[in-house]
Amino acid sequence: MNKRQVDVVIIGGGPAGLAAAIEVKKQGIDNVLIIERDSSLGGILQQCIHDGFGLHRFGKRLSGCEYADNFIVEVKERKIEIADKTIVIEITKDKVIYAMNEIDGITEIKCGAIILAMGCRERTRSQAFIWGTRPSGVLTAGTVQRYINIEGYLPGEKAVILGSGDIGLIMARRMTLEGIEVKGVYELMESPGGLTRNIAQCLVDYNIPLHLSTTVIRTHGNKKLEGVTVAKVDKDRQVIKGSEEYIECDLLVLAVGLIPENELSNQLNINIDTRTKGPVVDEYFMTSMEGVFAAGNVVTVFDLVDYVSLTGELAGRGAAKYVKGQLKMDKPITRLEPGENVSFVVPQYVRKHNLEEKLPLYFRVKQKLEKVEVTAVGNDETYYKKKHRVVLPPEMLVEEIISSNIKEGDKKITVNVMEVSKE
Amino acid sequence: MMEKRIRKIIADMNKIADYDISASVSRDKIVTLNGTALYWKQVVDAGHKVANVKGVRNVVNDMISKDIKPNIIDYSKKIKEVKNNSISESCDVVIIGAGISGCAIARNLSKYNLNVMVVEKNSDIAEEATKANNGNIHPGVLAKPGTLKAKLNLRGNEMYTKLSEELDFELKRTGSLLVFYNKKDVNKFKILKFLKYTGIGKLIKPLSQAMKVPGMKWLNTKEVRELEPNLKGEPIGGFLLTTMGLVEPFEVCSALAENAAENGVTFKFNTQIIDIVKEKESIKEVITNHSTIKCQTVINCAGVYADNIAKMVDDCFYTIHARRGAIAIIDKNRKGYLNTPVGLMSDSDRSNNSKGGGASVTPEGNLLWGPNAVEVYDKEDKSVDAVDMDYIIKLGRGVTDEVKKSEIITYFAGIRAADYKEDFIVEASRKVDGFIHVAGIQSPGLASAPAIAEMVEEILFKQNSNLEIKSDYNPIRVAKPKFRDLSHEEQDKLIKKNPKYGNIVCRCELITEGEIIDAVHSPIPATTIDAIKRRSRAGMGRCQGGFCGPRVLEIIARELEIPLTKVTLKGENSYVLHRQSRV
Repeated sequence: MNKRQVDVVIIGGGPAGLAAAIEVKKQGIDNVLIIERDSSLGGILQQCIHDGFGLHRFGKRLSGCEYADNFIVEVKERKIEIADKTIVIEITKDKVIYAMNEIDGITEIKCGAIILAMGCRERTRSQAFIWGTRPSGVLTAGTVQRYINIEGYLPGEKAVILGSGDIGLIMARRMTLEGIEVKGVYELMESPGGLTRNIAQCLVDYNIPLHLSTTVIRTHGNKKLEGVTVAKVDKDRQVIKGSEEYIECDLLVLAVGLIPENELSNQLNINIDTRTKGPVVDEYFMTSMEGVFAAGNVVTVFDLVDYVSLTGELAGRGAAKYVKGQLKMDKPITRLEPGENVSFVVPQYVRKHNLEEKLPLYFRVKQKLEKVEVTAVGNDETYYKKKHRVVLPPEMLVEEIISSNIKEGDKKITVNVMEVSKE
Repeated sequence: MMEKRIRKIIADMNKIADYDISASVSRDKIVTLNGTALYWKQVVDAGHKVANVKGVRNVVNDMISKDIKPNIIDYSKKIKEVKNNSISESCDVVIIGAGISGCAIARNLSKYNLNVMVVEKNSDIAEEATKANNGNIHPGVLAKPGTLKAKLNLRGNEMYTKLSEELDFELKRTGSLLVFYNKKDVNKFKILKFLKYTGIGKLIKPLSQAMKVPGMKWLNTKEVRELEPNLKGEPIGGFLLTTMGLVEPFEVCSALAENAAENGVTFKFNTQIIDIVKEKESIKEVITNHSTIKCQTVINCAGVYADNIAKMVDDCFYTIHARRGAIAIIDKNRKGYLNTPVGLMSDSDRSNNSKGGGASVTPEGNLLWGPNAVEVYDKEDKSVDAVDMDYIIKLGRGVTDEVKKSEIITYFAGIRAADYKEDFIVEASRKVDGFIHVAGIQSPGLASAPAIAEMVEEILFKQNSNLEIKSDYNPIRVAKPKFRDLSHEEQDKLIKKNPKYGNIVCRCELITEGEIIDAVHSPIPATTIDAIKRRSRAGMGRCQGGFCGPRVLEIIARELEIPLTKVTLKGENSYVLHRQSRV
């Protein structure tokens, strides 16, 4: 078994990992390694051939592949070591990684710091509790995207899409362009799950119907999918009897949500936030295990890749500082808590003495509201105020607090989103 | 007496407007029911009521109900076609069905100088009840005293230890735990202890089976807590049956089939029996959807279709009714949360006809909730509904409140092949030479399988005294390496020997490309994505094949040298890919 020592190991060569690796190197750490299980870098972006990526960072609309390429080129220019077709099978609490590939077998790597950047995974048919049989022809949207965009195969002729998250919307358009008849997009909730611009560009432009408060309750067909039963649901998301309708199709595409992939994080027994389903992180996205950082969708599912890259860079700077012994791990800490109409806040806590100039907060609202004010409130002081015309659960909010405003010794900052009273 | 009793039962039922039944009793005490009921459940009830009459050998229930649509397929055209196409094969023994019974029998017969063929309508072994089983090797305490089930369950359980050694499959004798939450139950079982140790229990007929079961232990509160620290509430005692074993049912079935194949048994998949031809009252040949197979012996292990097969030789004295059961699998994150299958006293009032589920564990450590039991008309109806899920979650909740519904990674249903006597039927046909019935094999069919095979072997031996054991028979089967169970050093060595073990395909369950290739080229080749899943575990984890599905599909296509569009999920027309987008 090979053994080696690396200052910073990044697990995952998608957008979070790439940004993190570049940042670590920029900070003067040369012994950096990206471990990627695929044969090429870029993660899920490789199959995202649609545009709309990088508006924030590059000021233009790129495809997912182009967005990734910008980082991949830099990783190569900076001569960052990449272990591709390599997978991490174990992490121990003393930061030893066991990685494997076909050529080297198992390699034991002692790490100075680790950045977890494994991304997220799709929720499955069973997790959406669809009843009936288990035929062929029920696939997650990401799998369909891979088949169509990477492999060049169509998995059906007539499709029903469950879930109006961005991936569902993107795939509605993609499948239509490939000649698959998309019979409709069905959404359990009262409002769509994806970005507003995607509703317009992917459904409206192609006359694909969107059925809100409607869900797929049953699959039919023993071997191959023959059809699905859809039904309307009431406010409590219970099926309304009599509203059932049978739709013939040979493909059911599931876009029913993403879950941070934390198999490895769980091996370390680090604290997981039940709201984000990802690790609890601090100002540099360090997890509850010292020297283990997390970046991108491992932490929480972001809706823009630009944010993923930013968190990668933040974790990269943190890991570099950690290796150099420049992070002060002592207390006090200030917790960041979701308040009024906020479902979670990332990071979950910070140490004022480690903060960079600005502290970005990533959070989502619980429900759609118009004319609101975002506030971040400390013990007895409001650190941040900003007005928004409209806020929606699918659109993540990012607000930056000026760090110097935060008072030393504040135990808690609460983030609220409240309607502005009509004065 | 018996006939009088049956007439009374039928008359009573016919008083209810829902029923219109007529019954006839044959000389060999087979009752045939005809007529109608309003609901399917009533049809099944009628069958059970009559079967319970003392002296009735079995029940043929040809009743229908108003809530079903009978689906009778006419094979006469197909039979003619196959007879004419003149593709003809021959062997000594045809085993119909490659479930646990068929495979166990095949393996037992593979030691003899016999040409054995296993004919299976599905694309793989264990596709029906076997794969949907919860893997409990029951101790045999629940079987009704004096039944064939009772005898074969005890014997089968005992045989599993040697079998697992010979065939290299995992068997964990965890024991099964019945938990007591009140003094009354504790006392009830104290009496059982007294009866067992004094030998008095043997004299009490309903207890005679329980008295034969070895390895009973009475646990106090502390012992229960030590064994199962995560049980809800305050258990005050428990009853442990130490002989309960846990297996992966598919692994057992495939170990049996592989060993049988290695010893010369032929397996024919996607092959359905559509007729059986007799000459005088002896078996002449079977007709499948592809060919005719000349043979002397037919062993009917056709599960839910055993009655249809028996009809083909005019010796159908039982009806198989489908009893569906659903099981939910909990994420492996809960590994170690429970150590044994756990039952509660409150569950024991459930129908005796189906094995009570509750909470169980797989050898891999996944928790299982269920199964439930629902009578269904359609033998193919393996759907799961919200009511099934609610029920099996309730079973799980009985044991713990902590495991949440969101931790369920998948759920599925299987069909139990029950006859109306609710016992096993393992016997030579009394009418047709060379036909052996292995029917009504439901729970504890998995636990009993080795004993069923032994019994069939004896039947065959009686009929055919010149059976000889082959000189090259090898009862040992060596399982392929399981990468996930090896130490890092062993993993390293394995990859150096074959780099394909260095490529993880299924990341949830840590399954390598090497293992998938092994499965494709195993003695019983895996040719579908589900077949790969069951052999290797690729796709069994929490992402349910979302990540590895496309990769497994590619490997199958490459190894079998077929186009990607010809790879199926589960045989027949279950293709995953429709066509290439650009040609």
